[in-house]
Amino acid sequence: MRRSSQRSSKSGGAEPAAAGSARIPGRSSVLARLEPHLFYLPALVIYALFMVVPVAGTVGLSLVHWDGWGAPSFAGLANYVAAFRDPLFWQALWHNLVLIPYYVVLPLAIGLVLAAVIEQLKLRGTGFFRFTLFLPYIMPGVLVGVVWRWLLNPVFGLVNEVLALFGVAGPAWLGDFKLALPTVGLIGAWAGYGFCFVVFLAGIQKIPAELYEAAHIDGASAVGEFWHVTVPGLRGEMVVVLVANMINALRAFDVIWATTRGGPGRQTTVIASYMVENAFNINRVGYGAALAVILAVVTIALSTATLRLLGERK
Amino acid sequence: MTDSARRATWTRHILAYAFLTLAVLGALVPFITTTISSFKTDTELVQGALSLPKVWQWQNYVTAWVQGKFGIFFRNSVIVAVLVVVPSVILSAMTGFAFARYRFRGAGVLFAVFLLGMTIPSQALVIPLFYELKFMGLLNSHAAMILPQIAMSLSFGTLLMRTAFANLPREISEAAMVDGCTSWQAFWRVLLPLVRPILGTLALLFFIWTWNEFLLPFVVTTVEEYQTLPVGLLYFQQRWTSNVPVLCAGATIIFLPLTLLFLIFQRQLIEGIIAGSVKG
Repeated sequence: MRRSSQRSSKSGGAEPAAAGSARIPGRSSVLARLEPHLFYLPALVIYALFMVVPVAGTVGLSLVHWDGWGAPSFAGLANYVAAFRDPLFWQALWHNLVLIPYYVVLPLAIGLVLAAVIEQLKLRGTGFFRFTLFLPYIMPGVLVGVVWRWLLNPVFGLVNEVLALFGVAGPAWLGDFKLALPTVGLIGAWAGYGFCFVVFLAGIQKIPAELYEAAHIDGASAVGEFWHVTVPGLRGEMVVVLVANMINALRAFDVIWATTRGGPGRQTTVIASYMVENAFNINRVGYGAALAVILAVVTIALSTATLRLLGERK
Repeated sequence: MTDSARRATWTRHILAYAFLTLAVLGALVPFITTTISSFKTDTELVQGALSLPKVWQWQNYVTAWVQGKFGIFFRNSVIVAVLVVVPSVILSAMTGFAFARYRFRGAGVLFAVFLLGMTIPSQALVIPLFYELKFMGLLNSHAAMILPQIAMSLSFGTLLMRTAFANLPREISEAAMVDGCTSWQAFWRVLLPLVRPILGTLALLFFIWTWNEFLLPFVVTTVEEYQTLPVGLLYFQQRWTSNVPVLCAGATIIFLPLTLLFLIFQRQLIEGIIAGSVKG
């Protein structure tokens, strides 16, 4: 530890403690009162300009009709009403909801089994598995999308080439009207299971070994230990993973924009891509902002509800 | 242990390793295939993804870096990442310190305002941000990507650093004051070095967030001169549809540095990402 040896000539440094016991006369008392504010003020300026203003701006824009150029006209709640009457909005929202099982359940199950297998059987190479399985999760969504779009190319992609080895004629995947959305979901699951695995791995290591020993003495099999010790022991981790992945499913954009841009047709259009389309491609700025508000509200509501529902029961 | 029990354990371990190998291959094969394909000719690539290139085409990387502009995208990504991460970490530490060590009027409300950003997805910001930055004359600049991303980092940073400083024993800062430090000096010379590991974790997390951010740079840049790697990769994919090996080279240019960084800072990076994963 580096200790400050330099003595300051400025005496009577403000006391940061809460109790106002320091009696510092004159100018330095003004300084002392200003002091805490000087620590957060620079951050607050940037935060206000580029977080608070835009948040207020999104809400504000959602209440006007605007093409991005002329004068905006007040619309009241018309943009929200329009959204609720817009079948494309409901379709996009539905697609987000369809993605949830792919983004949440699948990675959760795979991650759970992987972590349980390694920890319960006390296999070696934990560090290696943690590194390799987590790797997809730290990659940019666009990269994931671009790579998978190529791997799933029906003509020269790796996936259909491997399927052909087994005599299966692979489908068009992202180009197929029925398969596009599940395919996008599976790509999301691929990117997410390493995250679940790592969280669960850390969680299992915190479960007291006595619980496993007790189960063992009771004659529980490995599967029994999994259901009666591992799964209940990971309750908290599961809630965290569930909420984080659900948020990802609701906000899904990067992977979809890089693979299908919402197509074919509108088969993979989600709220975020519909919002970008409206706000930036066809200049329905107010409507796009309303979609953004709805997306934020749905995300916050669903994640808080999940936390309330699962977090309290302990 | 009896023979049959030992055999059962063996079978179980073999099955387990088979399952794990499958999972590892699933995670790695896309990257490996991409890198191998980046060394192929266009014809070789169309012939099949499972083969190795006959002659390793290193010039695909030159093509990606120069004609594909990945050199420019890479430079932009580095500039934006550094200028987001360093100020964000410092400002987070200062703000976290303010909320951990001082009680002042409105502190509670202000702290809540700072936390608000954690629940706001970037989708809920980009539309007004676009017009705000346009008004400021900042569209197509590095600042257009840097300033908002500092703001987006501050919520989580403030929360984490407040906890870090609150967990330090109060005596340490008091001892520094007795030594005649102003709290500004105590903050920089005594307290900040004590939370260095957390600053590192935070920096790595901010780096990953910034390096991977797509929507904001996608919206506020229209010229290649300012585009970052994810945006550049996407436009490259759309423009050079026929040249997949060069696309693969570009993809490798993006994921190789990330992989190396992860290899070096595995533990801190995982810690940071898990801590930050609850961000909305």
